[in-house]
Amino acid sequence: MRLKMKINTIYTTIIALFMFSCAAGPDNPGVEFSPQMYHSTPYEPLSQIVDKEAGRWVSSNGEDVPAEFYNSNPYNAFNMTMREPVKGTVKRGQYLTPTFAPDDYAAADLLLVNPLDSTKAILADGKALYTRFCSHCHGAKGMGDGKVGKVYKGVTAYTSASVVNKGTGHIYQVITHGKGRMGSHASQISPEERWKIAMYVKVLQQ
Amino acid sequence: MSKKYIPNRGFKLATIFFLGIILASTAFSQEDVIDPAIIASGEKLYNANCTQCHAINEVVIGPALKGIEERRERPWLLSWIKNSQKVIESGDEYAVALYEKYKKVAMPAYPFTDAEIISVLEYIDVASKVVPQVAAVVAAGGENGAGGSNEGMSNTFMYAILIVFIFVLGLILVVLGLIISLLTKYIGTDKEVSHEDQELVIDQEVDVFAFLKSNTVLGMIIFIFVAVGLKTGIDGLFTIGVQQGYMPTQPIAYSHEIHAGQYEIDCNYCHTGVRKSKSANIPSANICMNCHVAIKTESKEIQKIYAAIDYDPETGEYGEDTQPIEWVRVHNLPDLAYFNHSQHVKVGGLECETCHGPIKEMEVVYQYSPLTMGWCINCHRETNVKSLDDDYYTNLVELHNEKNTKEPMKVEDIGGLECSKCHY
Repeated sequence: MRLKMKINTIYTTIIALFMFSCAAGPDNPGVEFSPQMYHSTPYEPLSQIVDKEAGRWVSSNGEDVPAEFYNSNPYNAFNMTMREPVKGTVKRGQYLTPTFAPDDYAAADLLLVNPLDSTKAILADGKALYTRFCSHCHGAKGMGDGKVGKVYKGVTAYTSASVVNKGTGHIYQVITHGKGRMGSHASQISPEERWKIAMYVKVLQQ
Repeated sequence: MSKKYIPNRGFKLATIFFLGIILASTAFSQEDVIDPAIIASGEKLYNANCTQCHAINEVVIGPALKGIEERRERPWLLSWIKNSQKVIESGDEYAVALYEKYKKVAMPAYPFTDAEIISVLEYIDVASKVVPQVAAVVAAGGENGAGGSNEGMSNTFMYAILIVFIFVLGLILVVLGLIISLLTKYIGTDKEVSHEDQELVIDQEVDVFAFLKSNTVLGMIIFIFVAVGLKTGIDGLFTIGVQQGYMPTQPIAYSHEIHAGQYEIDCNYCHTGVRKSKSANIPSANICMNCHVAIKTESKEIQKIYAAIDYDPETGEYGEDTQPIEWVRVHNLPDLAYFNHSQHVKVGGLECETCHGPIKEMEVVYQYSPLTMGWCINCHRETNVKSLDDDYYTNLVELHNEKNTKEPMKVEDIGGLECSKCHY
C-alpha cells in the first residue's frame, strides 16, 4: 500500500515537472498545442523558418518534401518571404507626383501642387501624423526641440528665417528626400500623408 | 571691430579705456558697452535660427562660434549668412574648406538684413566672453548612462536583505536551543526544585522521528505533496500553446525603453504598417538610419546595422553587400487565427499598450498578453465600439438601441464573437 503510494507520488511529481516545463520562458516559446495548425503553410510575412527539417516529427509528407514548419521562399534572396516593391512601380490608388532632383527644393516648391483642401479633418489628420512622424525631433510646436532633436542636433525650427516662407511643396520635397541632417522619410509616409503633414507645418509656422 | 557706444557714457568709457591702457589689463576691455537692445534682439534671432546647428563653445553641426569675428571679416560673414552656397560656388577658398570640413552639410540661406546679422554677431561676441560650463554637460551624459542598472541593483539589494533575514532567524534558533539546554542543565542541578519536577523536565523525551512516522503526519505530508503536484500539473497544462512571457534574445540589443520611453519616439514612426496592414511591421534599417547615421555611431550594436546594410560610417557611403537582420518574432499567433493590426488600431482606436503592455519600459520585448482565445473574446465582450463621428455605425447603433437602450454597443454586438471573424 505504502509502496504504491510512494510510486504514485513520484509519478505525480514527474508529470507535474513535465507540465511545468510546457510554459514559455525567455528564450523558449513553450510547447504548442497543435503544431500543424500553428504554423502557416503559405509564406508568412515577418516569420521565416529556413530549416527544412523543422517540424519533421509532425510531418505526414514524404521525406523529400520540406517538413511541416518550413516557411521560406527559395526564389528570393536569403530565402526571405517578403520582397521590396519593384523599382519604378506605383502602388494601387497612389497618384504620381512629379519628381525632381532630390536637392532641387526650389523647383519642388514652385511646381508641386498640393492636391488636398485645407479642411479641419485634413488638418487634424496632419496633426496626428506630425505627432507620429515629426514631433520627436521637431518638437510639438515645431521649434526643433523634440527629445530626439536635442540629442541629434541640427534640427530646423519652423520659425527659423531660412524656412518660414517656404511653401508646402518645399516641405513635401524635404519629407520625401530629406535635407541636411534629415533623412528621407518616403518609406514611412505616403505621398498623401506628406501633404497633410506639410499643411500642418504651415499651421505651426503661423 | 566696430562697437557702438552710448553717447552719454562716452566720458566714463574714455576714462576706463585710459585706465585700461595704464594697467595693461584685459579685464577692462570687457567694459565695452554695446546697446543692450541690439544684443537682446541678436540673442532672440540667434536662439530662433542658429542654435540648431551652432553653439558658442562647441562644434555641433557647424563650427563653434566663439570669436567668429576674429576669424572672419564682417563683410564675408554677411554674405555667408545670407547665402552660403553662393559663397562656396564663387570659389572662396575658406568657404570651400569649411564646407568640406563639416561633411558637406550646407548652411541654409537666411534672408536677414545687415543690421539683423550684426546684432547676432554682437550677441555672439558677448556670449563668447561667458565662461563655458563644461561640467554640466559631462554630468548630464553620465546620468543617462547609469539609468539602466537601477532595477538590477534593487534586486540584489532584496536578495541581500533576504539572506541577512534568514541568517538572523537561524541565529535566533541556535540561541534559543542553547538557552533550553542551559535551563535543562540548571533545573537538573538545582536543589530547590523538587525531584518530580526535575523528572518532568529532564526525562521528557520528545521523539521527533516517531512523531513524523505517525500515519496522520505522513498522510498530511503526502496530501500536501500530491495537491501541490496536481496544481502545478494542471497549471502547466494550461500553459500549453500560450507563449506569454516569451522574451527571445534578438540579434541586435534594441531597447524600446530608450527609444519609446526615454526619447518618446512614437510607435508609428517605426512600426509603419500598424494602421495600414495586418502586420505592424518590423522597421527596415533605413528607418534606423534616419537617426543612427549620426547617433551612437561608435556602439557595437549600431555597427551591426551598418554591417547588415553595408554602410561605411567613415565615408557615409552604402555598399552592395547587404543582408537581412534576422529579428526573432516575439508574438506568434497560431495560423488558425486571423488578426489584423489596422482593424484594431486604426478602426478600433486601441492603444498599443493595451495588448503589448508596458513597452516603454521594456529593455527586451516580451509577450505581455496571453493571446489566448479567451483573452480575445473577453475584450470583444467588454469593449464599446467607437461609433461616434463614424457614419458607418449610424444604422447599427440605431438598431442596437431599439433592442437594448441601456447598454452601449459592444464589439460583441456587431459580430465580434462570430467564429468565422477570426477562424477561416
